[in-house]
Amino acid sequence: MTTTTGKNYWRSLDELQDTPEFREFLHREFPEAASEFPEGLSRRRWMQLMGASLALGGLAGCRWEQEKIAPFAVRPENRVPGEAEFFATSIEIAGMPRHLLVTCYDGRPIKIEGNPDHPASQGVSDALSQATILDLYDPDRSAAARQIDGRQSFSRSWQEFEEFAAEHFAALAKQAGQGLRLLIEPTSSIAVQTMLRKFQQRYPQATIHTYAPLSRQQQTDGAALAWRQPWRVRYNLDGAKIIASFDEDLLGLHPHALAHARGFATGREPGDGMSRVYAAESQFSLTGAAADHRLPIKSQDIGLLLAHVDALVRADLGAAEANADLPALPAGEQDFAQALALDLVANQGQAVVALGPSQPVAVHALAHALNQALGNIGQTVLLTQDPTQIAGAASLEQLVNAMQNGSVDTLLILGGNPAYDVPGDLDFRGGLAQVATTIQLGLYENETAQLCQWHLPQAHPYEAWGDVRGWDGTVSAAQPLIAPLLNGKSPLEVLALLCDDQRDAQQIVREALATYLGNRSDAWPALLHEGFISSTTFPLEQPASVAANQRQQWVQEIVQQPRADSELVFTPSDSVLDGRFANNGWLQETPDFLTKLTWDNAAILSPQTADQLGIQHGTIVQLKTNGARLELPAFILPGQAAGSIGVALGYGRTAAGNVGGDSDIASVGVDVNPLRSASSPHFTSDFSITPTASTYQFATTQDHHAIDTVGQEETERRAGDLVRGATLEEYQAHPDFAQHMTHHPPLESLWEEPSYEGHAWGMSIDLNKCIGCNACMVACQSENNVPIVGKEQVAKGREMHWIRVDRYFQGDVENPDIATQPVACHHCENAPCEQVCPVAATVHSDEGLNDMVYNRCIGTRYCANNCPYKVRRFNFLNYNAELEQASNELVQLAVNPEVTVRSRGVMEKCTYCVQRIQGGKIDAKNDRRAIGDGEIKTACQQACPTQAIQFGDLNDAESRVAASHADPRAYAMLSELNVKPRTKYLARVRNPHPLLAAPATETHHGSPHVHS
Amino acid sequence: MSTANLALNPELPPDRLLDGDHDYRSITDTVCQIVERPQPPKAWYVAFAVSSVLTVILFGLVGYLFVTGVGVWGNNAPVFWGWPIVNFVFWVGIGHAGTLISAILFLFRQHWRTSINRFAEAMTIFAVVCAGLFPGIHVGRVWLVYWLAPYPSQHLAMWPNFRSPLLWDVFAVSTYATVSLLFWYMGMIPDLATLRDRATTRVRQVAYGIAALGWTGSARQWSRYEKAYMLLAALATPLVLSVHTIVSFDFAVSQIPGWHTTIFPPYFVAGAIFSGFAMVITLVVPARAFFGLKDLVTIRHLENMTKIMLATGSMVGFAYAIEFFIAWYGGNPYEQFAFINRALGPYAWAYWTMVTCNVISPQLFWFKKFRTTPWLMVVVSIFINIGMWFERFVITVTSLSRDFLPSSWGYFKPTAVDVLMLIGSFGLFFTLFLLFCRYLPMVAMAEVKAVMPKPDTTAKVGNTASAEGGPQA
Repeated sequence: MTTTTGKNYWRSLDELQDTPEFREFLHREFPEAASEFPEGLSRRRWMQLMGASLALGGLAGCRWEQEKIAPFAVRPENRVPGEAEFFATSIEIAGMPRHLLVTCYDGRPIKIEGNPDHPASQGVSDALSQATILDLYDPDRSAAARQIDGRQSFSRSWQEFEEFAAEHFAALAKQAGQGLRLLIEPTSSIAVQTMLRKFQQRYPQATIHTYAPLSRQQQTDGAALAWRQPWRVRYNLDGAKIIASFDEDLLGLHPHALAHARGFATGREPGDGMSRVYAAESQFSLTGAAADHRLPIKSQDIGLLLAHVDALVRADLGAAEANADLPALPAGEQDFAQALALDLVANQGQAVVALGPSQPVAVHALAHALNQALGNIGQTVLLTQDPTQIAGAASLEQLVNAMQNGSVDTLLILGGNPAYDVPGDLDFRGGLAQVATTIQLGLYENETAQLCQWHLPQAHPYEAWGDVRGWDGTVSAAQPLIAPLLNGKSPLEVLALLCDDQRDAQQIVREALATYLGNRSDAWPALLHEGFISSTTFPLEQPASVAANQRQQWVQEIVQQPRADSELVFTPSDSVLDGRFANNGWLQETPDFLTKLTWDNAAILSPQTADQLGIQHGTIVQLKTNGARLELPAFILPGQAAGSIGVALGYGRTAAGNVGGDSDIASVGVDVNPLRSASSPHFTSDFSITPTASTYQFATTQDHHAIDTVGQEETERRAGDLVRGATLEEYQAHPDFAQHMTHHPPLESLWEEPSYEGHAWGMSIDLNKCIGCNACMVACQSENNVPIVGKEQVAKGREMHWIRVDRYFQGDVENPDIATQPVACHHCENAPCEQVCPVAATVHSDEGLNDMVYNRCIGTRYCANNCPYKVRRFNFLNYNAELEQASNELVQLAVNPEVTVRSRGVMEKCTYCVQRIQGGKIDAKNDRRAIGDGEIKTACQQACPTQAIQFGDLNDAESRVAASHADPRAYAMLSELNVKPRTKYLARVRNPHPLLAAPATETHHGSPHVHS
Repeated sequence: MSTANLALNPELPPDRLLDGDHDYRSITDTVCQIVERPQPPKAWYVAFAVSSVLTVILFGLVGYLFVTGVGVWGNNAPVFWGWPIVNFVFWVGIGHAGTLISAILFLFRQHWRTSINRFAEAMTIFAVVCAGLFPGIHVGRVWLVYWLAPYPSQHLAMWPNFRSPLLWDVFAVSTYATVSLLFWYMGMIPDLATLRDRATTRVRQVAYGIAALGWTGSARQWSRYEKAYMLLAALATPLVLSVHTIVSFDFAVSQIPGWHTTIFPPYFVAGAIFSGFAMVITLVVPARAFFGLKDLVTIRHLENMTKIMLATGSMVGFAYAIEFFIAWYGGNPYEQFAFINRALGPYAWAYWTMVTCNVISPQLFWFKKFRTTPWLMVVVSIFINIGMWFERFVITVTSLSRDFLPSSWGYFKPTAVDVLMLIGSFGLFFTLFLLFCRYLPMVAMAEVKAVMPKPDTTAKVGNTASAEGGPQA
């Protein structure tokens, strides 16, 4: 087989310019927006760098690295050295489409933002997509093909693989693909699906299997059960007055979470139209923490609760259908169900009943029917086709069976890591040994790759052409932002190779999207520029009504499900998801939004359950199911459903890399996949838990050590003052309740306070909108070159995050109210840090910024002691030592050139993204205009999915931040210290149902007095 | 004026400060023989070996710290200041007794001071050396520590921040170190001349000769000397109060609950004197036994020191109580919590160690037996030293570990480097002290002679008499 054009494409410009295809390509395909096509000399530079770093592995010291200096004699259009360029692209993270805008400096992508034009993103992003930039530059990614022949392992080039494949697959093609199996992650990519059809044509006897450890298949199957169509469910939270979430994380790891978060935020404006959120769940989710009413309930009991709600709703609706006899609910659950049913009936067509992907198919069918009965379908609950369904695709179980039967000769695995993440009772590894030829394409030489004869390096999504369909169906393009750093190819390219498709990847994608692009000549560049094609959403499906007897049958099925006292629930990790981000230091160090646990998973259980089992916080427990037994530490979490033990997937990787664990590097956390079974991969009651005698020290970023009674009581006492909140009713009576919660004498300054004539930068954070999702943390880490410090340092309390999300529990320990509060530097006008620095390394700017002068700082740490918000971070050690290592040259590329990398011994903290402020000022000055409101966005603000963070000029009365500061809900944390912070919070307003006891809140108290 | 002695110890005749039948010559012999004998006692070698090994460990760790970064300590967020600052404040406190004895007691004509002042002053210098080490190595970028000094730098084109208490600290401690050193050295010149005159080897003659700065003991020199000594004493007196006052400003000027209290300056000074005297007792009791100085440093001296410890220890105990009272009375909930947390929180063990050692143990000095039995004094003094170290630990670490936002609370755990550096600083202290015992006159001979009853029983003040009590033995 000859080399593909894809490979040709990335070679040197000289070579390419001589080819007629390239010329045609340049002239025909990029007439207007040639700049968007990220090619040019600097890409060669990166290729050379990569080549150099590879060569250094074996040849270091032999001679000076040969380097060709290529002058920018002809500068690519729009490329100004040192100035950022922005490219729209899309990626799919475990089936979650994310639509991005990538910032590139000199051809080097360094920062991810949401695509502001894309309807699903509107400029916001999440922690996972922010962190993908670090994966791109991960030096542990595999850099070359590898073949195991006999017992020996050989490093191979793509050329060699192509030669092998030409022979091997030609033979397979001759026998129509008999014995050939393809395992691929489900994808919405039109190009991949088109190529898969081609693959099926070429190898008609071959079988395609799809597998994803985190799938929403049960929801789709539920739709199929209810309406005979495997429809996808999409929620429109924008218009929802009542949001009922059952074991579903609408705002967190849902594929459409960013749109949900925005819709949720719209509905949370305090006032008459404010939405009410109910959540019933076993594990705490972002949605549960943000809910007005949260019911901790075991996952196995969700179905019954939903059946009760369904019955109550139908009774209220006056349905004549007889309801099956349902076992009674405990009082608390009954109240919850009743209040929810009343609200659902009162808000027909404006409510959402959302059910989590872990629930059984019958429960999903019931939820679908309930939404239909409430008239929500077509309003707030939308049904569309599911683009990830591949006709004729088989499951992983079928593949494992086939492998064990010996009916698989050649297995091709494109992406994924089944050897690690399949349920324990599926002997995928054993099956793999039965297969004569195994070929795996992956970003890393992971657990699966190690068992395959051929491992091929996969191109990172930022290095390859592709396309992604948004959750609503919007056709979105994925374009390479940099040449493959490590010589990888995308699954699409490998499929093309095996289908003997000579086109390059760009052409394949372009032709696959032809029907959507239409005939306009500028449609393709426009797509690359915008990132998506508008008006390509899926048409909405109109379901027929569900027959009553069918519904009864589901209810029967739910009622008959066995119920046990305890259950073991497998959850995706907020940080590493299903393990794919195990080697991503940013995500490993991002604390779980609730437990604040980093670099670990744990058996999460409620205080009550822990008491019953005699388990202490940190006790190592043994979990045992039929097939497996393992030990992991117990984490006691208030609000966890009693009897429900949660364990996060994605940890305990043994071939992730230097961060997540490798053959000679200890794993991060414990792999709980062996405990899962294929029949119940999400939760099971068939297990046992026993405490052992050993204990474990967690690395958490809050409550670093188990807290004592004195501290606990004080925390509870203070929490209401720090995170202020009231019910909607209280708010409507006293909109300025938050400002009346502290009492102190008039605040006088010792010094004459400066006035700020020009700009006065300020921030506001709406706690009513903050869902604690950590997007701001990772965005800040990426923007500001915040180092990763590792588990031991986090355990010591030396994490470096410039913005953190504080979390407080309030009220009942079994069902607490959660408050989250992002805290970064408050840029106090009377900054206590500035006064005590002996060398004047932290000083005030005339725009009110509390500037940190790194090269003046000698590290006395007095400033950090005196900071009441404890937002200052100190480089106790050289946390950037890794960047200096030759083997980590690649990681250096992820560094933002606009921000200093700090040395050891230096204090650092949030700067309000001063580099962005300066950039905005320079732009405005060049254009001789005023800086517009919203023009300068801090990284945290830009990422925030609910847009809870506002930043701008307080001197501009029209600015959003000035309006926020003037909001009656606005208050300054610790205002009684007279530090005059520039960041203000907007107090939380909850909207409880009158029938349910209102959550404990601080109320307005006292007569007229001085207040902040 | 010698009635002051009566006030301190009415049982002894006011003019009787020494035991035994001593004349000028025997005093000189007793003190000089320690320095002049060819070999020090075996115990000295053992002690020197141990302490110099600890000193080497200390400097080895300082090297390790310089190479690795301050992360080798247990400091974290929020406890950005840990043991190094605790050690600094502890050692500065120890350094207080010397100057107090030399300067303030001198000005108040407390003649009993003469037997112990040299000793205490030396201890001051060495304690300040140990204290000065810690803030210097404590900064994150130690190679730039000189930026703390206000020097006209063209490179930086700026002054340090004069609003920062840390900068005041730099001035306070360096002034104190300079004045203490001068005072100590100047007071030693007549005795160094004695050693020079008695020297039997050329090396000793030259070395002590240089150190003695050409002292001849002429009346003119004595006259100048007395005036200069008086002036330096007057200069050093406010420093005794100012150093620890300014050290306490490091805490009091900040706004951390538990630090931000106005009681700190007097409380720190009282504590410093308390701990300084405890350290003098700890050192002087074994030293007088080993080097045969029991006649010069008598039980009466020791008893007077225990009385000062009783007084200052009670002040410290009172300050602890007042802190709690003010926390309650002031109505600041953060302050209230800071103190409840001290007594009942995760560091309660440290707080109660402190209270036991500092408040209860000095009360034992109400009993005559404790005031007059040297080994009991040493035991109590060691407890006081432990307690005073914990006082600084409690102030520094517990206040920082839990301040305003509960989300940022933490817990400090020392590392092996922390522990070894504290031990190593004692090694440095004892190394210097042992060298002092071996090579310099441990007791101020000239001053002791001045207060001896025989030559001039009608002496009004010590310093006029000392003109006659010259070094010529």
